[in-house]
Amino acid sequence: MKFAYNETNLYNLQVIKESKSWMKHHFISAEQFQKISEAFKSPLYHPNLLIRILLFIAALFALSGVTGLLSLFVLSIGEHELFISIASIFYGIGSFVFLEKLFIGQNQHYKSGVNEALIYHACGFTIAGLLGVFDFNQHTGFIVSLIVLSFAAIRYLDLLCTIAATLTFAGLAFFEFYNIGGIFQQIIPFVFIVIFTALYFFIKKAKQQEKFKYWQNNLLIVESLSLLFIYAAGNYLVVRELSVALMNLSIEEGADIPFAFIFYGLTVLIPVAYLYFGIKNKDIILLRVSLIVLAFSVFTFKYYFSLGHPAITLSVAGLALLAISIALTNYLKIVRNGFTRENFHTEKWANMHAEAFIISQTMGGNQVTVKEQFKGGGGGFGGGGASGDF
Amino acid sequence: MTNQIPNDLFEKGFLTEDQYKKIEPVASGKIVSVFYELRSLMYLGVMLFTTGAGILIYENIGEIGHIVSICGLVLLMLVCFWYSFQHAAPYANGQVKSPTPYYDYVLLLGSLLFISVQGYLQFQYGILDEHLEYSTLVTATVFFFIAYRFDHLGILSLAITALASFWSISISPQKWYSGNFFTETDLHITGIIFSIGITGIALLLDWKSIKKHFTFTYLNFCLLIFFVSAMVGLFDDAGYSIYLVLIYSGCAFSWYEARQNKSFLFLLYAFIAAYVGTTFLLFDTVLANAYEFWLLYSILSCGGFIYFIIRYKNYFARL
Repeated sequence: MKFAYNETNLYNLQVIKESKSWMKHHFISAEQFQKISEAFKSPLYHPNLLIRILLFIAALFALSGVTGLLSLFVLSIGEHELFISIASIFYGIGSFVFLEKLFIGQNQHYKSGVNEALIYHACGFTIAGLLGVFDFNQHTGFIVSLIVLSFAAIRYLDLLCTIAATLTFAGLAFFEFYNIGGIFQQIIPFVFIVIFTALYFFIKKAKQQEKFKYWQNNLLIVESLSLLFIYAAGNYLVVRELSVALMNLSIEEGADIPFAFIFYGLTVLIPVAYLYFGIKNKDIILLRVSLIVLAFSVFTFKYYFSLGHPAITLSVAGLALLAISIALTNYLKIVRNGFTRENFHTEKWANMHAEAFIISQTMGGNQVTVKEQFKGGGGGFGGGGASGDF
Repeated sequence: MTNQIPNDLFEKGFLTEDQYKKIEPVASGKIVSVFYELRSLMYLGVMLFTTGAGILIYENIGEIGHIVSICGLVLLMLVCFWYSFQHAAPYANGQVKSPTPYYDYVLLLGSLLFISVQGYLQFQYGILDEHLEYSTLVTATVFFFIAYRFDHLGILSLAITALASFWSISISPQKWYSGNFFTETDLHITGIIFSIGITGIALLLDWKSIKKHFTFTYLNFCLLIFFVSAMVGLFDDAGYSIYLVLIYSGCAFSWYEARQNKSFLFLLYAFIAAYVGTTFLLFDTVLANAYEFWLLYSILSCGGFIYFIIRYKNYFARL
């Protein structure tokens, strides 16, 4: 399937975006960037993130108005469930057509905020309508959602739809095996590891191919999620708690879940393997995922074998992290094994202002101990109408 | 699929060979930057440690181990500050580059430990017991000093937060929705006065060219407090017209600053506040009792708004 946008325009936009980040990091001069952006003109409308958010919110409001009016109209004709479901499917598909014809075709929108709002809106109504037609059967529900979401993810290069589609896929796999019951329920973790390992390597291959070059970010997301699913399926805490919650497994005092030793092993081995291959292959995705899952592994073991001093654990872990990261920063003063501490990428939210705001939001909590003893003041600041809703 | 863009640009003559040789390894992943990973790790380390230490100092009070650990924390704090002063670049009104990559985090650690130690002294020895709110003023003063001396945006925002909490305003979205605003009848007035006052000071400093890059953080906090306060007034007080005027003037100011700072965030605030204010006004006057118009209103207003933004996209792109 091809994406909905014009390929040359999309390529030109990518060139401009990329060279802009080079300019910000002083690889090229501003004049050069000027020249490049004139040579690679792109008519695609792709505003910056905040305008996108603004347009997204506005489009959702406008769409809710349209939906409201149409639903009044539809309900006045008939209230039969099947009728409403079919109307909903038509409305969803109509939204897709509207998006393609008016916004992508005529106005050259590319991830403009309005696009996203229309895509999610269209997906929502198509899926809801199809669910209604199939009488809310869970089995078909998963498959239908997977198809619609994958369509949106592939055709519009949308990243949230990619996440949703991957999660739906995992849900489907889990659901199918869970429903067969018996021994199949117990092997779900292993099935997950096999499925997502296969998916991971498939994606790695696909990323190398020329024909998938416009889906790099989508593939990257599936890749990261696959790694997370492989880990989660082998994590002792996840397996144990899900077994207890969903399979009515009762674990007696002193007993453990089946194959416990395997899961203990995987909880340790998978993050270490990720880290090792991440460093060895200079794979930043493996590296990032390994850091997250490493932290979760530590948490897993602390959860079951806690010594009961969370404050000490936190302090020691914090100190260790600080020491390691400072040592690494020093170590990477020069480029080693292809790794550098220098900054080459512009991450959307990683500017200094955003960081300052995050610090004030997460660290401000330390002042609470003082504030709690306030005699007069210390009130909250409630914004009843700040949501922009009526 | 390795990135072909550098290749393409080089072949078409947009890049010099020198530049191509620098860019190509980065774009193709031969050189991997772990800049953000290292920073996140340091940040996480500081957060975990100070959280742990913050709990720790209130545990086992009176035991030998406790006193030792308090001394340890004080010592660590002093080491952090000593390091900061040792390596600090001389004060300048402009932006100062951090002397080492982890310098900012050492300073942050020291400052957060300062809060913990200060809180502990308060708790244990009851310093300022009669006027507890002054302790936040002390924190704010110290943090403003640190922020300006060492050019640290994160600590500046902590200082603003502390100063605001001296006036009983808490700047945190997490607290806004859980907080019960309506019992504190005049807090929104405090909020409005506070934000206008701080904005005035920030603009004065900006005009005097003292740490111009701090202005954004000041304005961001002030605009948030201002708009939330004004909206609370709008929905809460009987005579709302004054708040409506305040909101519109705030929007005008926010729009102006958005252009000055090339900040789309301020533009976002201005639009949302103006929309809420206008909607409120319309439904209180012209459209009162006409709630069936709500659907039509949302289509027309938001559709019109989208049209407006797209129509003038060149203006907004340049902003």
